[in-house]
Amino acid sequence: MHYQLEIALRQSEGALARVLGTAQRRGYAPIAMQAATDPRAPAWTLSMTVESERSAHGLKSQLDKLHDCLAVEVAPCR
Amino acid sequence: MNGAEWLVKALEAEGVDTLFGYPGGCIMPFYDALLGSTMKHVLVRHEQAAALAANGYARHSGRVGVCVATSGPGASNLVTGIADALLDSVPMVCITGQVPTHLMGTDAFQELDVFGMTLPIVKHSYLPRSVDELPTVLHEAFDIARSGRPGPVLIDLPKDVQLAKADHLPAPAPITSPPVVNAVPVGLVDALSLIARSKKPVLYGGGGIAIAGATKAFRRFVAATKMPTVLTLRALGALPFDHPQFLGMLGMHGSRAANLAVQESDLLVVVGARFDDRATGKLAEFAPHAKVIHLDADLGEINKLRRADVSVHGRIDHSLNALCAAISRCDDWQALCAERVAKHAARYDAPGSDIYAPALLKRLSELKPDAIVACDVGQHQMWVAQHWGFKDPTHHLSSAGLGTMGFGLPAAIGAQLSNPGATVVCVSGDGSIQMNIQELATVARERLPIKIVLLDNQALGMVRQWQELFFHERYSAVDLSDNPDFGLIAQAYRIPAMRLDARADQERVLAEFLAIDGPAFLHVAIDQKANVWPLVPPNKSNTEMLDAPAQADAIAHADAKEFVHALPT
Repeated sequence: MHYQLEIALRQSEGALARVLGTAQRRGYAPIAMQAATDPRAPAWTLSMTVESERSAHGLKSQLDKLHDCLAVEVAPCR
Repeated sequence: MNGAEWLVKALEAEGVDTLFGYPGGCIMPFYDALLGSTMKHVLVRHEQAAALAANGYARHSGRVGVCVATSGPGASNLVTGIADALLDSVPMVCITGQVPTHLMGTDAFQELDVFGMTLPIVKHSYLPRSVDELPTVLHEAFDIARSGRPGPVLIDLPKDVQLAKADHLPAPAPITSPPVVNAVPVGLVDALSLIARSKKPVLYGGGGIAIAGATKAFRRFVAATKMPTVLTLRALGALPFDHPQFLGMLGMHGSRAANLAVQESDLLVVVGARFDDRATGKLAEFAPHAKVIHLDADLGEINKLRRADVSVHGRIDHSLNALCAAISRCDDWQALCAERVAKHAARYDAPGSDIYAPALLKRLSELKPDAIVACDVGQHQMWVAQHWGFKDPTHHLSSAGLGTMGFGLPAAIGAQLSNPGATVVCVSGDGSIQMNIQELATVARERLPIKIVLLDNQALGMVRQWQELFFHERYSAVDLSDNPDFGLIAQAYRIPAMRLDARADQERVLAEFLAIDGPAFLHVAIDQKANVWPLVPPNKSNTEMLDAPAQADAIAHADAKEFVHALPT
């Protein structure tokens, strides 16, 4: 199953590495990703496609716990 | 005032009374600022022990444990203690020195990316590059460490940030967290309905009970429902060991009564537990007939390994209080569970004249019923869990998630310093004790009255047991028959030491040992072939418990004499 993640992140030390590491360690393999700073706020916007046999809920609940994650949306890819 | 001096004042304002650490080059400004502080700094002899002592301090007291180390090897030596805190949800703030910001990234002396190294094992971490960040960082670090599901937070502090002028920073003040809203838990009505319909309910309590300070609420719920109760390793004491509803620990070395009840149950009320594999055995066959009500502070644990029919997310004490309205009618089931507890009670009448470790631990527990027990990892850890009569989960300090050999002695130091008037017993093995044996120096220096009980079977016992049972008795790298004289080592640190070899001497030696004023070390010789029973083999269902000697014989042994100390339960 492929999932599409849309994540808003604080622009803080290690934030991107934390998200990527959490996804990989929890069993969600990154397929594609794109990140950019948000000109309107001190934040990153991160779009990431991952592949996993595990549920979307599992990844969202782990990412939601990261202090740097401001918002996480996960949806199955069509 | 510089950044380090501001930080020390801020830690004092936060209420930190004790910190554990080891100085070095890049943390020297902080150590300089510590002179004259109201906080007690405990100089350990290895940074891993600093993290584990802070860990033990936090586990017993519920307060945030603080440890300090320098950059490079000092910081990397903290890693195991930090990981241990993450796995067991222990609130800690870990402060490391870092090379000055202009040298970062240049492979400077003792430069190590500890921030990067620890990303997977912290709840959060900070690397402030300006002194102006310190107030926010410190405030958030303590708040994150203790809020929700607690965990360790790292602050990696460059030396120039410590030395930077900080007169303009706001005066440190106590950190207050926003009050928790006592909302009616979602799922409550459905949970009450499931409990009312259940004929074979089991309450499955985990480490989250003590973490949430929910022991009283947990006991109220048991009293209200009379539900048969099993506990994880981390939860032992949440219900007193002799409570009529307590069936024992569940899982790999759990009691037969506990495992059978869970496997036959039609409803599991899971409180602050996470379906750890050591508790569930083969997950696909765990409690196959049970619906699940899962109460947890961490949404990430709900539906992670076992789907919950009803989930109640939020503070456990609030949820339990609300669930006390539950009506549970299952008298026959309660009677059956109680009958099994009696039938499968542990026996202590082992044949032979040498020391039988379970009986020794049970006797110690009777002699010191209010002791705080810090244990290491291995067979002795399981014997403590099975045979010590715990009445309070904060009195059982055990590295459950990470299984850190070397945990016991530093954790005992931390617990003793958090509660100076308490009796603290450290139970260790001859493998584990040598992983942090240098902390006998800390015990001696601080005159901590810790009673250290070393169960010496001259082997890495748990690995030896598994090699015996599951690797065709091919013993690989488990022999410790060349152990040093541990009593002499203790005495070299000016700690009185005694030795116990024979059962006939047990009562006298224990009395003399416990009567020693100050720290004391008891070296106990036990049989190398004594194993931990019952045992659920790896990847097996919890119904497939092995008892000794008969079933184990079928697997590995023809000679039952070798199981002289293995009594059936």
